Amino acid sequence: MANYNIDAKKNMTYDAIVIGSGISGGWAAKELCEGGLKTLVLERGRIVEHVIDYPTMNNDPWDLELRGALGPDDLKKHPIGARAGFVGANNEHFYANDLENPYTEVKPFLWVRGHQMGGRSMLWGKQCYRWSDLDFAANAIDGHGVDWPIRYKDIEEWYTYVEKFAGISGQALGLPQLPDSHFLPPMELNCVEKDIKSRIEKEFPGRVMTIGRVAHLTEPLNGRGQCQFRNRCDRGCPYGAYFSSNAVTLPAANATGNLTIRPYSIVNSLIYDEEKGKATGVRIIDAETNEHMEYYAKIIFCNASALSTTQILLNSKSGRFENGLGNDSGELGHNLMDHTYRVGAMGKIEGYEDKYYKGRRPNGIYIPRYVNIDEKTKTDKFVRGFGYQGGGGRANWGAGANQEDFGADFKDGLMKPGQWEFFITGFAECLPYHENQVTLDKENVDKWGQPTLAIDCEFKENEKAINRQIKADAVEMLEKAGVKDIVGFDNEHEPGYGIHEMGTARMGRDPKTSVLNATNQIHSVKNVFVTDGACMTSSSCVNPSLTYMALTARAANHAISELKKKNL
Amino acid sequence: MDRRTALKKTAIAAGSAALVPSLFSLLQSCQQQARLNWEPIFLTIDQAELVSTLTDTLLPKTETPGALDMKVDMFIDVVFAKMFDKTGQDAMIAEMNKFDALCAEKFGDKFAELDTEGRKEFLKQQESASPKYNGKVWGTAVGVQEPVGFYRTIKSLALWGYFSSEEIGKNVLSYDPIPGKYLGCIPLQDIGNSWSL
Repeated sequence: MANYNIDAKKNMTYDAIVIGSGISGGWAAKELCEGGLKTLVLERGRIVEHVIDYPTMNNDPWDLELRGALGPDDLKKHPIGARAGFVGANNEHFYANDLENPYTEVKPFLWVRGHQMGGRSMLWGKQCYRWSDLDFAANAIDGHGVDWPIRYKDIEEWYTYVEKFAGISGQALGLPQLPDSHFLPPMELNCVEKDIKSRIEKEFPGRVMTIGRVAHLTEPLNGRGQCQFRNRCDRGCPYGAYFSSNAVTLPAANATGNLTIRPYSIVNSLIYDEEKGKATGVRIIDAETNEHMEYYAKIIFCNASALSTTQILLNSKSGRFENGLGNDSGELGHNLMDHTYRVGAMGKIEGYEDKYYKGRRPNGIYIPRYVNIDEKTKTDKFVRGFGYQGGGGRANWGAGANQEDFGADFKDGLMKPGQWEFFITGFAECLPYHENQVTLDKENVDKWGQPTLAIDCEFKENEKAINRQIKADAVEMLEKAGVKDIVGFDNEHEPGYGIHEMGTARMGRDPKTSVLNATNQIHSVKNVFVTDGACMTSSSCVNPSLTYMALTARAANHAISELKKKNL
Repeated sequence: MDRRTALKKTAIAAGSAALVPSLFSLLQSCQQQARLNWEPIFLTIDQAELVSTLTDTLLPKTETPGALDMKVDMFIDVVFAKMFDKTGQDAMIAEMNKFDALCAEKFGDKFAELDTEGRKEFLKQQESASPKYNGKVWGTAVGVQEPVGFYRTIKSLALWGYFSSEEIGKNVLSYDPIPGKYLGCIPLQDIGNSWSL
């Protein structure tokens, strides 16, 4: 599809360079290309063309010898992916080779990566929620971290802008703590979810249960097909029904004729020109040939993912910036955040034996934050809040393993759907702690001789206090909703399981305490923009990708405008 | 490391399995000259006979095919050969030998040599003695998964092999690779058997 710049020497100079082609990089590429800028996207992995490079998209279990499981040799390449629990034979090719991309866990931290065109937009959960001023003002109000330099009004129109193009399905609720998106029609709740929703909302005034808000098309949009409810998203969607860079933003960027993608391009560092006081380009290593080379541009967008962008900036040293590009504040690499993961409750539902559903819905339910949203809901146990995802469905043959039975009747019984089950699992907001950090580890270099990251991060008392309430509230809600055999759980996962790394090059009002300004520019190097998870000043309790999209589109349009004014 | 600690690290799902080593190992009887109509790639003939008779007892042929019709024993042989690493294989074999030794101790012979009633009786004991799998959220167990032992592991593998086979998946269960839409609340009778995917 795109102009692949395999001939590296052909063109070394562009208007803009975008590092990374995942969710935020794809948006940067689209906006910059549509703004008329000749844009080079540097991707460290291979090309993944929409549909063409989705080899497993139609596999049934019996099409594979191990029916979708990985053998030990493949599994060895994915110790991190396996720890996350999502890697299998049908999506293995979209998970980075963990052995070739080591990092050090000073404290346990799960860092899941997708090193290919499209990055983790091939693999993401697609849950999309707007932030509110409850989130943007949180740091200022309770004093943790630094104040966001923006508020909801600054980003609202950009949410709408990206939603109209990405396609977000959901139900409008008018909640102040979770502003409605520009929605495509919502997906349907199933019988049991509808029942539990009505019971929870009756028993717990102020709490709401809704269908998840997701980047799946529920009607066609811009030539993309709507969701076919196969739930095979992480193999690549042949209909382009969920938002990925590959299906959505990169084709749009390419249509302008301004896009060049260079695969196998590992960015070593940004080049800083002391006289100009600007970054002038990037140094890369060809992942296949190990050749070192440089590319130049007027502006550079860093969208390598929170930690990889930080790694590149920390490795971009010069006389002016001895501790990494733009690191006057000393905050680069600090304030790493994620969301807590797998804490909640599950149980079984009596009844509805004669009801079923059709389709494999790639989505569940959502219970928006209801604690600490106003004076009435304030708790003294913790600051910030949490939301729940979850869902219900009927057990299948897999439940047979635990049944104390076997033989003819047992087997024939498993042909029918089993009992209805329901679960909710919470996502807690994580505070920005200076000491939760990544540093460059020069002792341990990767196969390209690049310093790796040492990650030193942990959840602290506030996150643990939120988790305690998540679990207790989950059990209580399920009890009141009539759910039976309830099991409360907290897997006490280390950070990283949420796969929402944020905060290591934060935005802020003061260059002394933050890396980026209100339009995602490095305070002291205005032609460098960071719009991936690294830019986040706080973590909210909702999934962050939609906010990356909006911030990226906003920053890219600011960059174009500033370039026109010759301010960059 | 005792067996309980070792197996605590066991992670078994419908779609994946890995075992860590057990220090227990029992000599295997080589007396039985078994007759199989297929050639194992990993298991010995004796072990394959155990797996065959076990899966046949768990999922016998009725109006619908049985485990042996779906070659579930052959599939489990492939799973041991290609999905388990060496450590997992060794542990599995040790557990399997222990299972058969216990069977011999209680019922006077190896599992494959028992009559149908004897096999059922031994499995009933195993069923009530074996721990269970924890619930899962998005494919991963919640809480700390206690070791479930050989019986429940092999039962889980048998169910996986049987219900993920093409015949059952396409022609017995309700097969709909491209549903096209989601309907959240419909009469079960409109669908019949469970969805296979």
